[in-house]
Amino acid sequence: MGRFRLVAATVGAMLLGTVASAQNSSLSGRVSNSQGGVIANADVTLRPLPAPGAPPMPNMPNMPGMADKTTKSGANGAFTFDQVAAGQYVLQADAPGFERSSQAITVPGSTTTFALNLDPLVVPGAEPAAPRAGEAVDTQALLDRIKVLEQRLSDVESGTVLSEPETRVKRIEVYVDENGNQHDDPIPGVKPQVTYQRERVYRRQTINEKIEAALADAEEHAVKLGVSAAISPQFARQTKGITAAANDHAYQLASADVFFTAGIAQHTLFYADVVGLSGTPPDLEISGLTLLNGYSARLVRQNEIGLREAWLRTEIFSQRLSLTAGRLDLTNFFDRNSAANDETTQFLSDALVNNPVLGLATNGSGFAAVFDPKIGLNFKFGFQQSNPDATNLNDSLYSLAEVGYLARLPGLGEGNYRVWYRDTNASTVSSTAWGVSLDQKIAPSVTLFGRYGDGKVPSGGDSQTAFSAGQHFVSGGVGFQKGLVFNPMDSWGVGYSQTRLAAGDKEHLVEGYYNFQLSEKLRLSFHLSHALEVPEGAEKYGFLVPGLRLQATF
Amino acid sequence: MSNVRRFVMIAGAAALLMPALADTRLRAADVKVPDPTKVVMIVNRDSNEIAFMDIASKKIVGKTFLGNNVNPHMVMMSPDGRYVVTGGTRANKAYVIDSRTLELVKVINVDIAPEHLAFSPDSRWYYQGNPEGDSISVIDMVSLTKVKTIPGLVEPLNTTFSTDGTKAYVGNYGAHWVGVIDVRRHELSKKIPIGEVPGIAKLDPQKYLGEIKGINIAAPTNDGRLLYAADSDLGVVGVIDTREDKVIKTIRVGKDPWRIYMNHDGKYAITPNNGDETISIIDLQTNKVAATLEAGPNMTGVNFAAGKAFVISSTSGFVYVYDMKTLRPAGRIKIGTNVQLETATTDTADEKLYLADSTENAVVIINAKTEAVEKVFNVGLFPWGTHIMDSKDNYCH
Repeated sequence: MGRFRLVAATVGAMLLGTVASAQNSSLSGRVSNSQGGVIANADVTLRPLPAPGAPPMPNMPNMPGMADKTTKSGANGAFTFDQVAAGQYVLQADAPGFERSSQAITVPGSTTTFALNLDPLVVPGAEPAAPRAGEAVDTQALLDRIKVLEQRLSDVESGTVLSEPETRVKRIEVYVDENGNQHDDPIPGVKPQVTYQRERVYRRQTINEKIEAALADAEEHAVKLGVSAAISPQFARQTKGITAAANDHAYQLASADVFFTAGIAQHTLFYADVVGLSGTPPDLEISGLTLLNGYSARLVRQNEIGLREAWLRTEIFSQRLSLTAGRLDLTNFFDRNSAANDETTQFLSDALVNNPVLGLATNGSGFAAVFDPKIGLNFKFGFQQSNPDATNLNDSLYSLAEVGYLARLPGLGEGNYRVWYRDTNASTVSSTAWGVSLDQKIAPSVTLFGRYGDGKVPSGGDSQTAFSAGQHFVSGGVGFQKGLVFNPMDSWGVGYSQTRLAAGDKEHLVEGYYNFQLSEKLRLSFHLSHALEVPEGAEKYGFLVPGLRLQATF
Repeated sequence: MSNVRRFVMIAGAAALLMPALADTRLRAADVKVPDPTKVVMIVNRDSNEIAFMDIASKKIVGKTFLGNNVNPHMVMMSPDGRYVVTGGTRANKAYVIDSRTLELVKVINVDIAPEHLAFSPDSRWYYQGNPEGDSISVIDMVSLTKVKTIPGLVEPLNTTFSTDGTKAYVGNYGAHWVGVIDVRRHELSKKIPIGEVPGIAKLDPQKYLGEIKGINIAAPTNDGRLLYAADSDLGVVGVIDTREDKVIKTIRVGKDPWRIYMNHDGKYAITPNNGDETISIIDLQTNKVAATLEAGPNMTGVNFAAGKAFVISSTSGFVYVYDMKTLRPAGRIKIGTNVQLETATTDTADEKLYLADSTENAVVIINAKTEAVEKVFNVGLFPWGTHIMDSKDNYCH
């Protein structure tokens, strides 16, 4: 009885398998190369495809191989799949040295026999695929190899390629033993040593890429030369007070800076700025508390070329701290208001691009340190000679410190806020001052700016110029960029400043400008300023000063 | 149990199981990557190979050599995890790798200088962009053949498929428009201009008639409804409504934006502006610039993780970090001196970045939370980019 049950169960199971097979199909085929030679032992895979109209594949739907069926071709290249359910499949064949054959099929379909032809896999530089066990290298394989070589020859002929191998010099660590022998890897008794070595790389470069790389390399190693030149004609029309000499006079100032930059060591830069000025700014005839033309500050002697800056800068502590020493313009480091800082691109009046209470009229030998960990908070300190005629630094030491903070006030864009403190002992009279400076975005294209400065000790020594002697100073305004402009890169702004000396002299100045960017290297701006001077104990006077500025920078 | 009984039982069982055993057996020895989500793919431009690094062990588990002088550019895994593909820029070929065995299974001729590529969401179509051929090669991933070359593009750099896979958007770096491809016909169906070239451009032939720097990519929002495309020369980001395929807003950003990168939470996008070394952070709700912050030179990519943005400054050796909640700078990570950094991918957990460091032949792993740095050396020669399946930061430069 037991034997009967066993036989019955076995037969039943076999019948079930047969019934299942009746709902499925078989498919078969042969794997061959492009010349018709059979490929034995090829991997043949049958992979189900998603049904038509199925939703797009979500992320990670199928791990490869999960639903695949695989088999191998026989000695005659033949293969068979039984028990294949109806549906759409991808039928693939792989063999060493050949590309994968892949095609979509439908089961059951019009055909159940498939001829899979494999093309040779062309991998220049790769080792040829070894024949599988039992396979012989025959004539057909040689023919295939010839085809591969012909294809490679065609590729070489059609591609633009330089035959010279690319090389690159690398800094490497090697290991030297007590006998002076160098090893690539550490072994007992060796010391690590750093050296430089050329290595070959295997990049195919076109002639264009080669030329571009050579030009970029040459530029990187060259001393970079830049030019910033400006012409600024202005006109003065007196609006108030007793008619002065400047009334209805025209003025023009031309300025040219040539600057040199060179990298001379790791994270170390040399910079020099040679400037020449010529012309007649309105400030020679209008004795305001501040300059109506910011370029005038550079004018020391007519038609003479002077060294404006020459310094070395190095960066240490992962480039968080930069140290600069030489002949400096400290205003390039401090009080860098983004909307009102540059007489070459923004306001022309000095009172709207500088803070007169800083009291720095001339460049001189000095030092600046900037600590910037790139977290929106920075610290600056610097000193320099403030009197070019002084015989030592002690007699004319001007020092300045600043803290800057990037703030984001609710509902506003980013704002830069700075507070500074300065001390100078020029003319043997110690003078201190402090001030704040801000530029706050209130919209992507609108920036408010403001400055305040307060001097603690009256100045007015011989080395101080009038415009640097302001003791109470306030300015403010608005700048526009990337919006409300004629051309996308234009900018414009309006600003007001008030300067008041301890002696009681006052100045009110207002300026508006519009700056057209004609090209990347050329700008043309229109300016209209009005200065009202209120001298203590004398009649007030005012001037309306329209002007132009043509600025080329390249 | 008698021998007869035992034989009958074994024969019966074998009759049932043999077909299944024969058809589903896996060659475990050939499988080098059992789970394609667990590897970082590394494009080694000078050793002409794709390297596969196991994320957990940080070991290279395999390399696929493509051939001498191929110079692969970008690597990507198909969404179904079945294939890894790359374009060989100097070989004018596309390479298809089996993602489990890491065997090169197909080499397909494409157009000139293939670089960036994309897959349709269903993994059926592999679009290989050919910037110097001004075309896209369409590769059918079922037949593993090139079925069409789409002409009419201008230096196509990156392709983005719509979420339903019916359209593809192509950034043309040699022009100022985004191309719309009808994926059913594989044809260019529309050109969407991103911004107007200013009239004053005629005064500046050196800029506008010299090398053109147009649109790198049209990047989608999380829901796929909008695309953002930065135009380098025009300094703008165009917002495209994908329902009508037209620009609904133009946002002015910094100078020479390289491309746009979308934050994973869908709130912000960032353009690295190489012209003025800043980044512009765009609020995707208001479509306005929320912040413009100082950054570094030669920026090649932006990754997002742990609530921060990591901006790669290629030649400075730094990765600049920004807090995406406060939109303030949060320091910078020093990777090395005299190194050149390429691009990075972020793991799917948004915890670690895998940055290609080409001059050190290394991949730099950055812990996004602690900002700790670990280097894995000898991944291959001149690693140019990395890729992790399903990462939200898979890109190339």
